[in-house]
Amino acid sequence: MSQQERRSGKISRRDFLKMGAMAGGAGVLAACAQPGAAPGGELPDLTSGNSIPLDDLIAAAKTEGQLTTIALPHDWANYGEIISTYKSKYGLTINELNPDAGSADELEAIRANKDSKGPQAPDVIDIGVAHTETAMKDGLVAKYKVATWDSIPDDAKNSDGYWWSEYYGVLVFEVVKPDIANSPQDWEDLLKPEYKGKVAMAGDVLKSNQSVQTVLAAGLSRTGGDINGAAEAGLQFWKEMNDAGNFIPVIADQGKIAQRETLIVMEWDYLALANRDGLAGNPELDIVVPKTGVLAGPYAGGISAYAPHPYAARLWWEFVMSDEGQNLYLKGYAHPIRFNDMAKRGVIPADMLAKLPPAEAYEQAFFPTIQQLTETKTIITENWRKVVYGEG
Amino acid sequence: MSVPNTKNRTIGDAPRARPQTPSAKLPQFILDWAGLAPFFLFALAFLFIPSFSIFVRSFQANDGSFTLNNIVALFTQRDIINAYKTSLQISAITAVGGALFGFLLAQAVILGGLPRNLRTFLLTFSGVASNFAGVPLAFAFVATMGNAGLVTGWIEAIFDLDLRQMGFSIYRMTGLSIVYMYFQFPLMVLIMAPALDGLRREWREACENLGGSTLHYWRYVALPILLPSLLGTTILLFGNAFGAYATAYAFSGSFINLVTILIGAQIQGDVLYNPGLGNALALGMIVIMSITMLGYTIMQRRAARWVR
Repeated sequence: MSQQERRSGKISRRDFLKMGAMAGGAGVLAACAQPGAAPGGELPDLTSGNSIPLDDLIAAAKTEGQLTTIALPHDWANYGEIISTYKSKYGLTINELNPDAGSADELEAIRANKDSKGPQAPDVIDIGVAHTETAMKDGLVAKYKVATWDSIPDDAKNSDGYWWSEYYGVLVFEVVKPDIANSPQDWEDLLKPEYKGKVAMAGDVLKSNQSVQTVLAAGLSRTGGDINGAAEAGLQFWKEMNDAGNFIPVIADQGKIAQRETLIVMEWDYLALANRDGLAGNPELDIVVPKTGVLAGPYAGGISAYAPHPYAARLWWEFVMSDEGQNLYLKGYAHPIRFNDMAKRGVIPADMLAKLPPAEAYEQAFFPTIQQLTETKTIITENWRKVVYGEG
Repeated sequence: MSVPNTKNRTIGDAPRARPQTPSAKLPQFILDWAGLAPFFLFALAFLFIPSFSIFVRSFQANDGSFTLNNIVALFTQRDIINAYKTSLQISAITAVGGALFGFLLAQAVILGGLPRNLRTFLLTFSGVASNFAGVPLAFAFVATMGNAGLVTGWIEAIFDLDLRQMGFSIYRMTGLSIVYMYFQFPLMVLIMAPALDGLRREWREACENLGGSTLHYWRYVALPILLPSLLGTTILLFGNAFGAYATAYAFSGSFINLVTILIGAQIQGDVLYNPGLGNALALGMIVIMSITMLGYTIMQRRAARWVR
């Protein structure tokens, strides 16, 4: 025993020097691996934000082996298939954090894990466009321009590459067919007495961005598409809706729709169309894009500035923003942000287009700027209870 | 430990329940407190540290700097003042209502001479029902009494009415109060049953022997004995309703303006997001609960005065 101990002691002492030398070398290597394009076998540069050639990116991502996502529900915009395709295509695993998190939670997850490379730190985020401001101000996102950058419309991306929209939807009416004989065709129709106790939102105005936009869209319809005064007009519209007894304060979801508790629901088109498929005719749903007040809601993608797997993260966006990834969104009824470009080049399968509401309905879709979103949101949330419920 | 103590003898001649000697004082003291250590640890981890964190974060702005805005908002923003009013109102109504009806039911079951089986059944049921709250309860209520609810459907079919057109809606304060009663009521039964069990038959007989009526018995014997537990349970029900969130939110979103729902809107979601204000709102709730507890302690003292 004692002999062994002595021997092992000697060995480790001798090895200690060797290990020290190796560690020093590795440190030097690691130091030069980060900045600047190093010679073959080294990892590509992350600081310029330029698109990394796909082969290099795949190789680098494979060394990481994993991607951590957050807030991607599988039944939202076809994320289930996007995730599984990415996994099988590149042979990486995906660690999915809280699928039901909101935009603020996603940013909080980055903030809370700044110093941690553990499994709780997200690599990529998918947030409401309004949140990109905070994300950039707090330095939570890294810049990167995917290969298809130029075909993303200019007002749907940050010119430095800190965020870009991946998909958008418009607010539609989701109508339970057998119970509602005449589907409403425009916002004003919803005020008719025949819809008493039947109109619901899919979220809470003080909590869900979708519902804030529902108020704004109704207002846009009243102002004839002018964003100025749309928030106030929207509040007035919902006040009339509430006074008429048409508005029921139930938060609609697929279950409540199936149960026929909420017969007319305002929701993003991709969620409404997914519900239509999910319920498979029980009950049958009619999806109506309103004639006026067609409000587009884009989402924004980004890469965490503290991403534990920076290459897998960039590979994720290269995939999602490619024609293939964008078509997967469309399969989940979310309009890919590169829709126009792809339609022009004829890369969208015809059977997919057939399942969507007519393309003309989307032509007048209004894309608010971040500033407009912030301003209208403030007006709507601060006055919602006062104006609509008439609380002093 | 129990070395007779001669020094203190002179102080009084009452028998000493706990003989103490200076030498035994310290170890006994430590032992007593060591037994309580798990409780204090628990209270520290789940009560004091979270409360302290809420207190600290109430004074933080979104960027982490010190601010008094959140506290000021508690007293100036209409929505917030209204929310406290509504929360207090609904808690008081359902606490008093739950206590009253729960007490009557418990009394009927325990003292009403019902078969023993029924009593076991009712207590087990109350145990389950008092925990049946939150999303399942709200959903059950919506499915039964909602616009497309089962019972609503029956009423509409039998009487050939369109309740929606008539303006009927469960999504009101009254509706939510009724929903709350579903967990308040059984909790009261559950807690009052043992207290009622404690009423001895002999006391009643004694009262009757002295010529007292049932009214006299309740007024001068039973109620004074039960009052401390009645008050305690009512306060418990109050807190139960005051802190309820999931039930109310699943029931009607933010339609009914409760403090807990406002807190939810501030600390999660895409829209408002001001955790500092959320914490300040929670701090307000802690203060209100503390005042309530203080009031309770004073009332409890008075109610139990005759015991001492």
